[in-house]
Amino acid sequence: MRTKELISFVLDIGEQMLISGAEVNRVEDSITRMCSAYGAKRVNVLTITSSIVVTVKMLDGEVYTQTRRIRSYVTDLNKLDRLNNLSRFIVNHKPDLEEIEHEIEQIDLIGVYSTKKQYFIYALVASSFTVFFGGNVGDTIVSALVAMLLKWMISFIKKVDKNTVITNVFCSFVVGLVTIVTVNFGLGTNVDHIIIGNIMLLIPGLALTNAVKDIISGDTISGLLRLNEAFVIAVSIASGFGLATLLMGGLM
Amino acid sequence: MEEIIQIIAAFFCSIAFALLYNIRGKKAILAGFGGMIAWAIYIGIGIVYPHEMIQYFFAAVFVTWYSEFLAPILKTPVTVFLSPGIIPFVPGRGLYYTMSYALNGEVTLFTEMGLNTLGTAVSIAAGIMAASAVYRIVRGIARFNKRKRLT
Repeated sequence: MRTKELISFVLDIGEQMLISGAEVNRVEDSITRMCSAYGAKRVNVLTITSSIVVTVKMLDGEVYTQTRRIRSYVTDLNKLDRLNNLSRFIVNHKPDLEEIEHEIEQIDLIGVYSTKKQYFIYALVASSFTVFFGGNVGDTIVSALVAMLLKWMISFIKKVDKNTVITNVFCSFVVGLVTIVTVNFGLGTNVDHIIIGNIMLLIPGLALTNAVKDIISGDTISGLLRLNEAFVIAVSIASGFGLATLLMGGLM
Repeated sequence: MEEIIQIIAAFFCSIAFALLYNIRGKKAILAGFGGMIAWAIYIGIGIVYPHEMIQYFFAAVFVTWYSEFLAPILKTPVTVFLSPGIIPFVPGRGLYYTMSYALNGEVTLFTEMGLNTLGTAVSIAAGIMAASAVYRIVRGIARFNKRKRLT
């Protein structure tokens, strides 16, 4: 058995799960189960939001350690679903390494919704939240259009600069600016309702809730890291919108 | 009337986030129903006992049970229904206002909003944790009884 490669594949699966939005608990649990299925005597896994460390002691007394560093997340629950099924399959059937590799490649192939649909989804999120928070018809339409602009900006900035703070400050600044200008032209009535719909696309509200969940369930380090991340992103979004209102308030 | 619009909007909020998270077809629609019913429960409890944190808590309990119930049927992780279903409750708006008060130096409003946001997050998280713990215990007992009947 090529244990090193096996652990590497197991970590690949764990890494992809974490990136796609699995809880820390689930990642640790899956890695432990998969290693144990292949006859590990002892498995020690530490997962925090930015890294996975695993040390495995095999039956013959050999000890292996491998690490993964995770830099960014893209929530993709469809992928998580597939990875979860794969890890269950591995635990139950112990396939050989070639099969695992093949399955991982298959999962990588399933992609996301097409770009056109992505624009539609952004518009749907923003407009439904604008209605949810009490916007009227005009607000909803403007909100959907601004969301499409936001999507275009995000995909543009991601090519140039990967820093989340800069991306968020810039995106929220432009969204704020465009919203205030359109409302002043008479399309849409309430700046707040339009902006809140678009904020939901950027703000890590779910991350905040998950952070608290992590802390309650005992993964304090991960929880605190996520909590800090959420606050930093929220500050950058608030400062972007703040800049926009400051600028427009001065002009008008 | 306003409440009905909100409930329908919650349905679309949850579906939209499900699609944003790359969930497909039937699962996305089921996630949408989770969010919608949960928001109806939030409003319903508000009529009987108007306390925001209690309302959030029980809405989160419902979404968790809904997701835990559907997940094994569709052979998918609980998160697939839980994350989009919880979206209408998530304190995104509060988090934004908190930080914007902080940047404007409005200390009183900042503390008030910040505590409220954190309270919301805690009550939702507590609701999820409590509900999934209870669900697991109940399922464990059910399985135990089934096994005992068989032997």
